[in-house]
Amino acid sequence: MRTLRDWFDERLGFGAVIGFLEKKDVPRHKHTVFYYTGSSILFFLGIQIVTGVLLAFYYQPTLAGANPSVARIVTELPLGWLLRSVHSWSSTFMIAIVFIHLLGIAFTKAYRRPREATWITGVLLLAASLAFGFTGYLLPWDELSLAATKVGTNLPRSIPVVGAWLTGVMRAGEDVTGDTLSRFFIFHVSVLPIAILALLGAHLFLVQRHGMSVPLEEERKGGKGPVLPFWPNFAYREAGVWLILLGLLVTIAVVAAPGLGPQADLMSPAPEGIKPEWYFLFMFQTLKLFPARILGLNGEMVAVLLMMAGMGLVAVLPFIDNRPAERKGKIITGLAWAGLAYAVVMSIWGLL
Amino acid sequence: MNGRRRWVSILTILALAPCLAAGILGAGSQDAPEARAQQAAVKAPAEGTEAAPRPPKERMAVVVLLTWVWISILVLFWLLRLRVREADRVFNMGLRRTAGKAPEERGH
Repeated sequence: MRTLRDWFDERLGFGAVIGFLEKKDVPRHKHTVFYYTGSSILFFLGIQIVTGVLLAFYYQPTLAGANPSVARIVTELPLGWLLRSVHSWSSTFMIAIVFIHLLGIAFTKAYRRPREATWITGVLLLAASLAFGFTGYLLPWDELSLAATKVGTNLPRSIPVVGAWLTGVMRAGEDVTGDTLSRFFIFHVSVLPIAILALLGAHLFLVQRHGMSVPLEEERKGGKGPVLPFWPNFAYREAGVWLILLGLLVTIAVVAAPGLGPQADLMSPAPEGIKPEWYFLFMFQTLKLFPARILGLNGEMVAVLLMMAGMGLVAVLPFIDNRPAERKGKIITGLAWAGLAYAVVMSIWGLL
Repeated sequence: MNGRRRWVSILTILALAPCLAAGILGAGSQDAPEARAQQAAVKAPAEGTEAAPRPPKERMAVVVLLTWVWISILVLFWLLRLRVREADRVFNMGLRRTAGKAPEERGH
């Protein structure tokens, strides 16, 4: 075993990686739990890639073949239903933990100088994860996914100047058709994975470059707090968290496997009770609340522009909150809590 | 971890592996309804498709699989806990590096 390890080490230089990890420290404080979220996201991304590749062996991204191929996966292939369920639930888990990861960073002000670029790459990773969810939702090609995609791809149309073009690019034409399905599939299995891996590489490089951030309140105490070596102390703990998450994932995937609706019909009217995935619910509910006209302007356009402005503000948060310890920083924290409460209330309202 | 404990760990995992494999095979050998599969291959179902298997035998296989998954996780978790304790003890004794070394300003 040792000879084999030495053989690989000589060629690939694992020893240097282990040496680097042994020198890496993880600060210990009451918010240390947030450090586990980063690796948990990677864990679920790995599950997504493995299950996604297996599903792609049987999935057919065509108008006639998409829904029947998914039906074949869940009814005919051994444990195919479980594979699809794990893929679907791990995406939900991953996006939930991405949100927790970002919220943890936001509320501990870990984005402060010099970690602005780390925050921006993190927000872009969130956007890529949401895009994964959005494109993947259409792939079963059932009534609900078609209707939700029609609503989702129609939203950019309200944006002045580029809106209609953007909708056309997303749909590969005027309406949602088989071409949209092909386009979404290519984005889901090719464009987005490349984008997410590139962003992830940049994000991980920046995390290693600047080290793990200590919460603002810990930093303000002035003292140099206790640390834990990343390797092996923290890595073993992370492995324990992964095991628990794996157990939860498999259990939920077995207990609540997603069904498959009837094949989408492009000519049929939208079914009742269209709802997007949970992470888009607050936007969906916000859009429903906006009136058709606001001060003579298109209400949907105002809502979309406001939401885009909100997302833009989140992306540049480190530059707005450049004095986190002062009064300005506290006001921004209050606004962030209000925004979070709004998103939670709207999501629950959307579910009801 | 000393040699004896390592061997116990390896043997435990090896003992669990066939059980887990049996659970997976048991769940995997479910008999999919052929007519339904053929219908799906030729033409999309007019109604929605149930995702999880419904026959009692298949559902039982799934429960067995789930049980083995959790038993394996608990055993691995227990082994990890031993490793964590050992690693922490080594660190606290200061054998590995200077204990309680504080993080530096950047890039620690």
